[in-house]
Amino acid sequence: MSGRHGFRRVVVANRGEIAARVIRTCRRLGIETVLTVSDADAGSPPARLADKTIRIGPAPAAASYLDADAIVSAAVAAGADAIHPGYGFLSENARLARACAAAGVVFIGPAPETLEATGDKLAAREHAVAAGLPVLPGRHVLPDAGAGEVAAAIGFPVLVKAAGGGGGRGLRVVRDPGELEHAVAVASAEAEAAFGDARVYLERYVSPARHVEVQLLGDGERVVHLGTRDCSVQRRYQKLIEEAPAPLLGDDLRGWLHAAAVAIGEHLRYRGAGTVEFLVDPEREEFYFLEVNARIQVEHPVTEAITGLDLVEEQIAIAEGRPLRVRQDAVTFAGHAIECRVNAEDPRHDFLPSPGTVTRAVFPSPPAVRVDTHIQAGATVPPHYDSLLAKVIAHGDGRGDALATLRGALDRCAVDGVITNLDMHRGLLADPEFGKGGVDTRYLERWLAREGTLADGMESAAYVLDDHE
Amino acid sequence: MSDLELVDVSLRDGNQSLWGATGLRTAHVAQIAPVLNRVGFRALDFSSSTAMGVSVRTHRENPWDLLRLTRKAMPDTRLQFIGTGFRFISWERAHPEVMELVYTSLVNAGMDRFVVLDPTHDMDAVRETARIIKKAAGGTGAEVIGALTYTVSEAHDDAFYAGIARQYAECRDIDRAYVKDPAGILTPERARTLIPAVLAELGGKPLELHAHASLGLSPLTCLVAAELGVRVLQVGCGALGNGTSLPDAERLVANLRASGHTVDVDDRLLATVARYFDGVAEAEGLPAGQPREFDAAFMHHQVAGGVMTTLRRQLAELGMEHRFGAVMEEIGLVRAELGYPIMVTPFPQMVIGQALANVLSGGARYDQVPDQVIRYVLGKFGKPTMPVEPSVLDRILSRPRAAELAEEPPPLSVPELRHRFGERVGDEELLLRFGMPGGEVDGMISGPPAATHYNPDTQPVLRLLRELAGRPPAAELTVDKPGFRLTLKGGDRD
Repeated sequence: MSGRHGFRRVVVANRGEIAARVIRTCRRLGIETVLTVSDADAGSPPARLADKTIRIGPAPAAASYLDADAIVSAAVAAGADAIHPGYGFLSENARLARACAAAGVVFIGPAPETLEATGDKLAAREHAVAAGLPVLPGRHVLPDAGAGEVAAAIGFPVLVKAAGGGGGRGLRVVRDPGELEHAVAVASAEAEAAFGDARVYLERYVSPARHVEVQLLGDGERVVHLGTRDCSVQRRYQKLIEEAPAPLLGDDLRGWLHAAAVAIGEHLRYRGAGTVEFLVDPEREEFYFLEVNARIQVEHPVTEAITGLDLVEEQIAIAEGRPLRVRQDAVTFAGHAIECRVNAEDPRHDFLPSPGTVTRAVFPSPPAVRVDTHIQAGATVPPHYDSLLAKVIAHGDGRGDALATLRGALDRCAVDGVITNLDMHRGLLADPEFGKGGVDTRYLERWLAREGTLADGMESAAYVLDDHE
Repeated sequence: MSDLELVDVSLRDGNQSLWGATGLRTAHVAQIAPVLNRVGFRALDFSSSTAMGVSVRTHRENPWDLLRLTRKAMPDTRLQFIGTGFRFISWERAHPEVMELVYTSLVNAGMDRFVVLDPTHDMDAVRETARIIKKAAGGTGAEVIGALTYTVSEAHDDAFYAGIARQYAECRDIDRAYVKDPAGILTPERARTLIPAVLAELGGKPLELHAHASLGLSPLTCLVAAELGVRVLQVGCGALGNGTSLPDAERLVANLRASGHTVDVDDRLLATVARYFDGVAEAEGLPAGQPREFDAAFMHHQVAGGVMTTLRRQLAELGMEHRFGAVMEEIGLVRAELGYPIMVTPFPQMVIGQALANVLSGGARYDQVPDQVIRYVLGKFGKPTMPVEPSVLDRILSRPRAAELAEEPPPLSVPELRHRFGERVGDEELLLRFGMPGGEVDGMISGPPAATHYNPDTQPVLRLLRELAGRPPAAELTVDKPGFRLTLKGGDRD
């Protein structure tokens, strides 16, 4: 035990609030940060927070944040020990993980093999089955290759989705067998275009259902769970409100979810922070494996609030080669936490993104609430990336306390210069149905219709709103 | 390959020497612990029973929680606990079983380096303490470091320390040793004979140097020690270095490198830590350690840094700052009469207590004698290194209180403590209740959990806001300076 320990310098290969959040933990730990930026983000608040910045390309993500070679080169040039990929972009990209290994830089995330196993929906499903997890009935098909028979065997309605996709692209629900052929063809074409993989997956469509996920930490040998999160308030597979723990689940069901998540984590010899997503039918006390997200998630702060852990710190510790620092019996859950994602988008106009310059940004301060944001007055919201401005997280002794705190916190938020969904959040938090807890994944659609904010464009959207990613 | 390692004493001895052990709270420590872990220190001098007592009494914070959360934040750096092996928080002697429970509880809370120290160099006591610690540590790999407490007296020549070093070499429960110079009186010249004499007998076990900077000597003595084969130097960082603490880490590293040594620490993080403590000092109104000038009179009283700070505070509380010189003079005299106890805890407190009593009595010396001095003279803290002056011995032992204390019942055993404080009290709380008044422990338990984040930069604004909140409402508050004007106006709350 002598000399220096751990990473000295880490490249943060992301942008926005997660870049600021990772930088904050690195700074607390005494780790120097190098932020890779596109031209659009060179003057962003995270770029000012980081110790150094390296430009990796022009604004479009494909030419910057999705350029694995540029990121690895930046890490090597900066003399960094490791890369933290954040979420989205290349966070689950096995090629980046392998390129890091080849360059002698640590990828702060799971092993490339794990990323490959979890990144492909079919492979992930096979692993889940091997680990003994319940999965929805389903099979993959190619266009013009017996989709009708497969769907009939599964039973309508069926969900058609891209085998290699994520984030809700290429997903549609088919209720009428007559529409199946067309849906498969379109999904396949989209999947081919987006992911270079034309395979399509058909599976049983369950509704109503809740989206519940379990946070895992693993060190390659041991896996612990950090409890559940409920992310059922979502639109087009984009989560808007998340909470921990998932409310109104029976003790048995919650225990099964925990055990199932740990089982697949152990099966994968999971290393790092990850999340196992489930579709839950609380009435029948049934659940089905959906997928593994092999990265830090947007909604991780609600888990941090109730466990008292810093998940980014734990990711770093694991990547430094340390054994897990938390034992399952030492993980405790205190109270309840709820998070609202404040986005620069207009709920009254089909959630149209609203890029621009923020002229005023007021957020409440801790300790009552936590706000993860990269936005200050004067900050730019570029059109090239997602529209997340801030996450407002409240923690209370119980769900009611957390909700009351969060309502008060949102009332004190003010963002001018871009249109935000703050009013929508205020409305949702005031809604008695949400207040009761345990809403399903179609809740937001119903609420929007009821509140009359559902714009025309949404109804004609090709996507069906109710789904579970 | 680094040829020298550092042990940082900021959190324990720095805080004790410069800030009376009361400066640092859990939040101050928790905030910087992850960074301290990455600097590359071999170990931190981290806690003591005194520090734990202060946590409870002054801050109402659970000291065991602080140990645990620091261990969690510092997986790579050894955390040292320093103690005499015969007491815990209270000045009274503890039952050996109680001390065993103390060490077991400390190991469980994550401490993995222990100083064994007997102020009279009673080696049987040292070996027994080392044995208890190794037993408590089990297979955790905790290391034990034996102290060679340096002082200047007729008895304490190089051969004396070489003899102790030989016994450390022979003791399998002691892994390494350090020269501990609490008063900062080890000169470079003396180091040139003392250190080779000690190293020659230490049987290859590593030797460290812990020399306070009180007289400005130790920054130089450390350089000499490095040249002579000392492997580890103990330092303080930023505001918690220099003064009556240990040499400043940044300066010492620079000086060592300039002398051709390699020191494998992360300079950027070392500076981060130092500036953090500077920030804490400024935000909390605590004095920053400054380089000291040589003071020949110091050789007479040999009062260490922390004790000196406490003494000045006590004198101020008594309105007796002007008697400081007289008290210092009396301390030197009392120390000689009591047989030159080395001025490390608990003896400075004892000598100073007696000296204060002598000065306050206005000439009637030894008219009042604290119980601890009587116990010392009765031999309850081990055999004095040199005999107590006979007339003083008589005067003390002829007191009726001396007879009472001689008949003192033995200290309570663990089962007796459990009986007294209740079977349902856990070990950690039991030990606090053993060492402290119950009301202080109750106060800690009823308090809120300690904060674990601290930002020195925000303290002035937070203080301003607290002060404003505590005043009658003002209609308007204006902060005005060139190029900047902030005005807050009162209004109805919504």
